[in-house]
Amino acid sequence: MYEWDFGPVLAESGVLLAGFRNTLELTATALAGGLVVGLLLALARLSPRRRLRWPAGVVIEVFRTTPPLVQLFWFYFGLPIVVSVEMTPFLAAALTFTIQSGAFFAEILRAGIVSIERGQWEAASAIGMRPHQTMRRVILPQAVKRMFPSMMERSIELMKTTTLVATVSYADLLFQANELAQKTFRPLEVFTLVALVYFVAITCLSGLGSLLERRFARSGEFAA
Amino acid sequence: MNYNWSFAPIFENWQVLAIGAVGTLRLFVICLVIGMGLGLVVALGRRAEARPLRWLSRAFVEVFRNTPVLVQILWFYYALPILAPVEIGPFTAAILGISLNSAAYSAEIFRGGIQSIEPGQWEAARAIAMTPAQVMRRVILPQAVRRIVPALTNRGVEIFKMSTLASVVAYVELLNQGKLIASIYFNPLEVYTIIAALFFLLLYPIVRLTYALERRLARSDA
Repeated sequence: MYEWDFGPVLAESGVLLAGFRNTLELTATALAGGLVVGLLLALARLSPRRRLRWPAGVVIEVFRTTPPLVQLFWFYFGLPIVVSVEMTPFLAAALTFTIQSGAFFAEILRAGIVSIERGQWEAASAIGMRPHQTMRRVILPQAVKRMFPSMMERSIELMKTTTLVATVSYADLLFQANELAQKTFRPLEVFTLVALVYFVAITCLSGLGSLLERRFARSGEFAA
Repeated sequence: MNYNWSFAPIFENWQVLAIGAVGTLRLFVICLVIGMGLGLVVALGRRAEARPLRWLSRAFVEVFRNTPVLVQILWFYYALPILAPVEIGPFTAAILGISLNSAAYSAEIFRGGIQSIEPGQWEAARAIAMTPAQVMRRVILPQAVRRIVPALTNRGVEIFKMSTLASVVAYVELLNQGKLIASIYFNPLEVYTIIAALFFLLLYPIVRLTYALERRLARSDA
């Protein structure tokens, strides 16, 4: 029977902590970027102008139907060949996950915007609002609220997807775990601990999500 | 910006990619079957009379949905062999990680489908003396499955995309073979573009199909 010993692993917990910080940093960057990209893509996709609608559709479909790991490799190994940039693992990962989560956010936002009744557009334009004013003041606030659960779910998916950056040597939690497992010869303890850290973090996040959902539900106008 | 794209080395080595494609398909089919099958079992487990069974199914779903699949694959690859006297190769580790992860997700889909069937149907079936197992098999599941076909198809697409993660433990699939070509010919741009295109061409028709199914279902339910 194997004897578990977390001692050597916990002695080096600083390594894992640094990795976790990097995971959070990458998740936050990609989330912030993804929300902006997602909003722009959603608006472009709903635009009356075909020249905007069509490219937005292509970006959304391509990034939703290709594997994220292939996208990451493309940005990390492929992109620097055509564009002269110094590609770092963080930059590649931030770019990939920003656009990828942006594509998913765009579809969620679009569904939210479309779900708002036409009457609200008509009412807003009747009191003299221009289309972009209506979008910003009337439609978007309601759409975001309705789509909050889906967006929360996507954000959690994003956090899980960031583990892929370990493959291009960005020092996220999983990468640090791999290093530590090799150093301490305790892969069982290290990977179990890391799985636990992710589990706790993600469970807390989704708990927070449902808490906010209930808040929103109380303030009305909420689609389950 | 004036890079000369050259796809020739990739086309000359198409067999290398073909071997990878076979590996991807093999992994996909196995994970799809186990993921969906086990998902149904877990979904039924969550409705079981016995409390420990219910509790176990719930724990399974929570653990596998709330941890990243790559962590699961690496855990099975590096950690499990220490606990159990089994030889875990890249293929087995990938199957375990991806199947169990997908089982947790599809269990939630099955559960939602089963719950969406009106309680009256249970009562009616019980009234004509069907056993609970018969009601489930003959009345509830056929209808539930019809409703969740789009969600399950989506899951299938996710499993196909997830199969690329097996390259991390050096299982021979498309992405891994692409890496091999890129490391010999120094053409990562072309290689990864081709691989992304292959996945897109293969999966996009299926994605379109789910859109159509969803629309049809929305109409027939309304």
